[in-house]
Amino acid sequence: MLQKKVCVLGAFGVGKTSLVRRYVQSIFSDAYLTTVGVKVDKKTLTVGTEPVTLVLWDVAGEDDVNAIRMTYVRGAAGYFLVVDGTRAETLEVARRIQERVTKEIGPIPFMLLLNKADLQENWELPTQSIEALERAGWAIFRTSAKTGDSVEEAFQELAKRMVA
Amino acid sequence: MLDLPARISEWLLLLVKSQRAVAHLLVDGEQMLVKAGGDLEHYGLTDLRPRQGACEQLPFLEGLLPLPESPFLLRSMGMPSGRVADVHFFDEDDATWVVLLDVTSEHDDAQKIQQKAYDMTLLSQREARLIAKLEAAHQALTLAHHELAASREALQLTHNRLQDELRDAERYVRAILPAPIAEPFAVDWLFVPSTELGGDSFGYHWIDPEHFALYLLDVCGHGVGAALLSVAAINTLRSSALLHTDFRQPDEVLAALNLAYQMEQHNDLYFTIWYGVYHRPTGRLRYASAGHPPPILVSGPSRARGDAYPLQAKGPPVGMLPIARYRCEERVLYSPARLFLFSDGVYEIHRPDGSMLEESAFEEVLTRAVPGGKSELEELLHFARAAHGSEVLEDDFSIVKMTI
Repeated sequence: MLQKKVCVLGAFGVGKTSLVRRYVQSIFSDAYLTTVGVKVDKKTLTVGTEPVTLVLWDVAGEDDVNAIRMTYVRGAAGYFLVVDGTRAETLEVARRIQERVTKEIGPIPFMLLLNKADLQENWELPTQSIEALERAGWAIFRTSAKTGDSVEEAFQELAKRMVA
Repeated sequence: MLDLPARISEWLLLLVKSQRAVAHLLVDGEQMLVKAGGDLEHYGLTDLRPRQGACEQLPFLEGLLPLPESPFLLRSMGMPSGRVADVHFFDEDDATWVVLLDVTSEHDDAQKIQQKAYDMTLLSQREARLIAKLEAAHQALTLAHHELAASREALQLTHNRLQDELRDAERYVRAILPAPIAEPFAVDWLFVPSTELGGDSFGYHWIDPEHFALYLLDVCGHGVGAALLSVAAINTLRSSALLHTDFRQPDEVLAALNLAYQMEQHNDLYFTIWYGVYHRPTGRLRYASAGHPPPILVSGPSRARGDAYPLQAKGPPVGMLPIARYRCEERVLYSPARLFLFSDGVYEIHRPDGSMLEESAFEEVLTRAVPGGKSELEELLHFARAAHGSEVLEDDFSIVKMTI
């Protein structure tokens, strides 16, 4: 069976662990528990007719002191960049991570997840920045780990791009 | 290697093994699991099958082999059992050794510290966002305040201009009022407009050497519109500008006025008027009323209490009906007597408790003896203000006194 490593990256507190839990276990908790190091999970889905197992690396978030270790990203076939829609600064972190991954790992498929869509009335992401990323070819999904909105679709789409 | 005796090195190894739950795996160049040993159960790595694919059995190896460098370390990896391990990789010949050392305790400590730090950071970020929002709201409020102040200033200027215009209009209304006369009989008046410009006006003049016309009108409502109509109507009377009308006949005058000032052509305004003609040689007063309060004739000299006679006459207000008939009444005036002609603002006075002043109280004041040297009309105004409880009356205060 085809098996692909997928990293979930982004600033701390953007909802990476919640997205993985929503996708793998279909559960959500409002309590925030920071991730230290990495947690590995897997889920099998079908792309076309072919079953594909995604090995999901939920990597500790980046902060002002600790950058994401590229050793965690080695061997990844694709990755998610997760942004908290209510914190504009997390978009800049995602942009920095993308540059580093491209430089050190290579141009592998990735997707930008604008998370916390359930709090859209509190979003602070500049529309022009998002439009600029879309024009640059970034695939963008507006997700909510809380409601599950667009989560399944985002993983399915990345799997499709990795297999293609 | 450590420069220690073998016994101590072995002791150290046993110590690490017991404290770190050492487990190991060997994966060959084909990424097949060769062997596994140590405390694998501690990490939840059970049912491992040698000579089977390593990555299928140990998903965290996916994509890592062959190693990019050796030795290679993955820190703090959550394992299936819930324990956390540092995962060390070593290349050896054509195979890779994977050694797991338990770091759960260090992980938990680090997680507690990091959690606090992140909670604090999130709080301070939220605080910064709130402060930014507050500052933006404050700026918007300040801007709105400035705009409001500018609007208020413009409004004040407009208000002042309107007030000036109202004062000009009031001056004009006052300017067309006739001067008091003393001979051959006395006619005096008092006119105190309300705060808004009112619709009261009056006049008197000799029609011919024997006939003296006397009139007072009150346009419904207040404001410039009412004042304009009152001035127009008074000018019509003063200049005898009604065609085919004998101004010595009060009923004819009111009927002609009614035709000339229909409310449809005058901004829906109508007015009440009392019009009288005094024939001096005979002392006969002929009069008609268009819905106006009856004047009061007080017999006797002003220094003594007199008797009051309201001069009633019936007729609809001017402008309300296209065809209206007015009846002429008549009374002979015997000297000494005073005739008081007024608008409803003189006696329709609200007391501070909301009740209305009785007409009988007003009549009582009119018939009261006036002490020498005092102005009877000023006394009336004083009485009205005292009853109202304020120097500012609700309506125009207009009264004309004819003394014979």
